[in-house]
Amino acid sequence: MRRGVWLAGLVASPVIVGLVYSFAGATGIAGFGAHGSYTLDRIRRVLSEQAVWESLWWTVRTSALATVLAGCAAVLAAALFRGTKTLDRAATTLAVLPLPIPHLVAAATAALVLGQSGLLARVAVTAGWISAPAQMPPLVYDRPGIGLILALGWKEFPFLALVAFSVVATRGAALEETARTLGAGPWQTFWRVTWPVLWRGLGPAAVAVFAFAAGSYETAALLGPSDPLPLPALTYERYTDADLARRGDAFVLSLLGLLLATGVVALHEWLRHRVRRLDG
Amino acid sequence: MGMTGAEAVRIDRGHRARAVRLAAVLVLSLSAAGCRESTRPAADLAGLPWDSVTARARGTAVTWRMWRGDPAIDAYVDRWVAPRVKQRFDIALHAVEGQGPELVNQLQIEREARARGSADLVWINGETFHNLRRSGLLYGPWSDRLPNAAYVDSASPTIRRDFEQNPAGYESPWGTVQFALIYDSARTPSPPRSYAELAAWIHRHPGRFTYDQSFAGVTFLKQLMYALNGGVARFQGGWNERLYQQASPKVWAWLDEVRPALWRRGDAYPPGVAELHRLFANDEVDFTMSNNQNEVVSKIRQGLFPPTARALLLRDGTIANAHFVGIPASAPNPAGAMVVADFLLSPEAQLEKAKPEVWADGTVLDPVRLPAEWRARFEAAAGDPRALPRDSLARYARPEVAPEYHERIAADWRARIRRRGD
Repeated sequence: MRRGVWLAGLVASPVIVGLVYSFAGATGIAGFGAHGSYTLDRIRRVLSEQAVWESLWWTVRTSALATVLAGCAAVLAAALFRGTKTLDRAATTLAVLPLPIPHLVAAATAALVLGQSGLLARVAVTAGWISAPAQMPPLVYDRPGIGLILALGWKEFPFLALVAFSVVATRGAALEETARTLGAGPWQTFWRVTWPVLWRGLGPAAVAVFAFAAGSYETAALLGPSDPLPLPALTYERYTDADLARRGDAFVLSLLGLLLATGVVALHEWLRHRVRRLDG
Repeated sequence: MGMTGAEAVRIDRGHRARAVRLAAVLVLSLSAAGCRESTRPAADLAGLPWDSVTARARGTAVTWRMWRGDPAIDAYVDRWVAPRVKQRFDIALHAVEGQGPELVNQLQIEREARARGSADLVWINGETFHNLRRSGLLYGPWSDRLPNAAYVDSASPTIRRDFEQNPAGYESPWGTVQFALIYDSARTPSPPRSYAELAAWIHRHPGRFTYDQSFAGVTFLKQLMYALNGGVARFQGGWNERLYQQASPKVWAWLDEVRPALWRRGDAYPPGVAELHRLFANDEVDFTMSNNQNEVVSKIRQGLFPPTARALLLRDGTIANAHFVGIPASAPNPAGAMVVADFLLSPEAQLEKAKPEVWADGTVLDPVRLPAEWRARFEAAAGDPRALPRDSLARYARPEVAPEYHERIAADWRARIRRRGD
């Protein structure tokens, strides 16, 4: 256990340095307009802004939906393509193929495909579904964040699929075999064996995807709406505000983002322990 | 692969000891970085004759933090300027990304960390100069010492003042630009020529106009503020809160009035001018804008805009400003930076930069002050048919006002126009 703590500390050291500096910036000890003394004024002011809470909620909602989307697709892929036939292998390869694509490229591609003058709109016009590209429902810079959810869901799918494939192969196969020997049908096997194994195995990876999606700047900046601004975009906007006095707000917002990610990890741990207790 | 649990634990124990040592090294090196003394810029440079400055610069490297968003500008800096300063002054010039707010943050953090400066030369103007100067992050005065400063058009109000601030030797002018709208003359044969005509045009063409959220967009709003309040003259002479309180509501009213007919009904705005250019190029809107009246020429040449794209000046006047280079107070090599800045001011470098096929950036030199040979070459280059004629540029040019106007309009636009949920 102590070994784990040390290693975690080492891995987390850049985050800890950032955390300490953000805290110093948020409380007026360091950064622009710092007086070297501790004050909660900035934190109070930032947290009293409605725009900040809307931004946080928007980011939570879109990141959660993108994670659910990617997770469902990964479960589906893992459940469907698990044989060793050529088709199965081709499908699994295809599923993990987008893994090395950088997020920035994925976001730029999404903007080009989903924009009102994008590929999708042009295809829709050619197919006669709409008469002009402008009639295409906005999927980029849109308030519901559909473009962002689709782009992040697509980008995170291969990562979760990779985890799902290995979970099924290492933990599921033997149990399923046993279930079948005991006379379970395909549906029963899926619901009673494959699905529980998958969602427990996918949990940590899904938490990582959520935390990443909530903190990812490129996709949010290229696809997110102007109002509310996604939390990473709002943080960056404050960090580069023309008014130097407002730049420190970014530290409060990064702490908020960190709190969100930590909160989700804690929630996941709690759920896991609860489930384990119920199982035991 | 085939490792037993016990083996894994043993290996991890070895890792643990190493991890502890690594962590200690990391903490030590971090604190060491924090304590390192900054290299003070040679204060005695000011007293040195120019020959000694160039001698000191020889064999050094200069890091130039600048906006790296335009391939034409990058090509001019990397492939035209850099080889020449290497050849003539034996200076290795490296241009790296870093501009505006990020630059101010970077220099501030370097100072807090007492770290060695990461930039010798920076590309700045307006509120960046304002913030750097106010925070004491610039070295100077130095720019009046450059031999080529004698050719600078110091009578031009655009060059003599940077957003009404006196450069005071802390930045050296590099180029001038003037704001222009960009439209496609094939798509829009008779474009609006004033803000009033633009409002009418927007209503007649719903969804076909918008402006961006960054520098060009704010300039567009600032010009609108001049136009709706009887011209720029009232806003000159420093920041005036009461005047701003009287003048800005007209801007918000104008924007609210056209909003339903804007692109996306004014619900969303492109984050930067690059995104606005893309909307224009993809025929999603009919106008884009630029702080450089000649950008349309280079974008046509790059194939991004149709050949029929043109720049347009509104009769209410468009903002002209100059951009400068400065030397951070933490610059490790101020002598090298000064020599590069002087080369940037040379007639040769200024003429090359002004060519439409290179960058089309306006010169800061006054041809009258130049040697006859260079004067002739500048006059010959002035008449590119694709560019806006010089006399109309001068006629509609309006100066920048105090940077606080820019900052407040940007902040209030976000709060009043962009936010709709309140």
